[in-house]
Amino acid sequence: MGIKRGVSFYSYQQAQFFGEMDYHDMCRELRETLGCDGVEIINETTVPKYPFPTREFLADWHNTMARYDLTPVALDGFLDTLRFRDHVMTRKEAGELLKLDLQLAADMGFKHVRTMTGLPSEVIEWALDTAVKLDVKIAWEIHTPIPIKPDPTIQGLYCESPGTAVYDTVEFIKKTGTKHVGFVPDMGIFTKAPYLDVVEAAVRHMKDRKFAANVEAMMKEVPLAELGEAIEKKYPGRLSPQEKRSFAWKTVAQPEDIELILPYICSIHGKVHDMIEVAPGVYDDPSTMNAEVIEVLKKNNWNGYICTEFEGQRSRQDQGREHLADEVDQVRRHHQMLKRLIGE
Amino acid sequence: MFDRYLLKEDSLENVEVTGFKFQVRIAEYRGCFLSLHNGYYINIDGVEYPRELQKFEINGKPPRDFDEIKKACYEHWDFDDFGTVYVDCPGGLSKGKHRVGIMQSVFTQYGWMPHDEEWIHNPPAPGTVAGGKQHDIYYFDMEVK
Repeated sequence: MGIKRGVSFYSYQQAQFFGEMDYHDMCRELRETLGCDGVEIINETTVPKYPFPTREFLADWHNTMARYDLTPVALDGFLDTLRFRDHVMTRKEAGELLKLDLQLAADMGFKHVRTMTGLPSEVIEWALDTAVKLDVKIAWEIHTPIPIKPDPTIQGLYCESPGTAVYDTVEFIKKTGTKHVGFVPDMGIFTKAPYLDVVEAAVRHMKDRKFAANVEAMMKEVPLAELGEAIEKKYPGRLSPQEKRSFAWKTVAQPEDIELILPYICSIHGKVHDMIEVAPGVYDDPSTMNAEVIEVLKKNNWNGYICTEFEGQRSRQDQGREHLADEVDQVRRHHQMLKRLIGE
Repeated sequence: MFDRYLLKEDSLENVEVTGFKFQVRIAEYRGCFLSLHNGYYINIDGVEYPRELQKFEINGKPPRDFDEIKKACYEHWDFDDFGTVYVDCPGGLSKGKHRVGIMQSVFTQYGWMPHDEEWIHNPPAPGTVAGGKQHDIYYFDMEVK
């Protein structure tokens, strides 16, 4: 069996935006070029008239899965808490939205709904009966800055207790014995350097072009992981707070941490920003511990899906079309890397 | 995101003599429930046109003002769809080139945020805070033909 490859259609958002690819094109790319079968979608991007698509859409969806012999893996849902505009969405209302996503996932053949990071147990409890009835799992995304190992000092957006959110959900799973709750870890928690495209965008936007040229020169000499500190040392105080954030990075989980939650992992987001050529014909993303994490997964005989989530398009969208990221090529490079690391 | 591509090229035109209109996409990687759409910061050649002067046309329905849009919490603005923004401006814009500053206000977010209660009672005016994934006003050079 082994680790299986898939793609989140998030990766092709820009191609869809410009009308260059629709989901049929994406499915064909998976089967005919990438040679993989796992499909993950963003509910509000792929499904017209979400959350109530037409029967024609559903029939076409299933037909397309059959035509290209694909497997629906994860449907990504969101949590827009201001949607009702006359009150903040309650926990139970969030549970109702999750039920809509679970039903849609079931209708489209998906095995789990990827929900918001750190989804409170109260929301999960409200929707759990539906998950069981439909046999679709609720899997929240472990996204940076959320660690796997409990660390109460971690603060940040996304949820009330980010430092212990994973631990709290594992306790909930153990307490209830449910088989319908789990996680989608995002590879962005295993960073080892800042994202190259984000760094490049920061340099491109620097108003002081002489300083930008100096930083560009340093990029050729200093390893990406050390760049922020090196700039600060050589040019103290020159980086604005926003620029500093672009050079900053933090490893929030170690590769072996993933062993703590292996039984509960529904699939993994293969987050990627920049697939660069690290040796002739060999690609990797310098920001992420891809090899180390996949090694741990292999050692434990984990056999779920890693779905590519290419995210390097956004930072380039201030430029003309000729400078935009080539999503299709980036995903192809990512799958070349996955095949190499998986040993396929 | 998609700031530079938010407006459809060549879509700026006058609407009889009542104002002008242009077509937009959502500056996000996903569509959203329509109620989350809170209007636009619009600045044409230095003149601002606040949300109260705007209407939004989507999903084959007649243009609605943003108090109506606010109620559309089960209707969806799909990612692939252009919407049309209508702006009251008696006489319309003069023919020729215009500098168009736009910032879209869409309250998409990742779960509960500290600002939630405040934004329910006092929704920020478009252009004053980041809306969705657009963080700045973006300027376009457009022409009314």
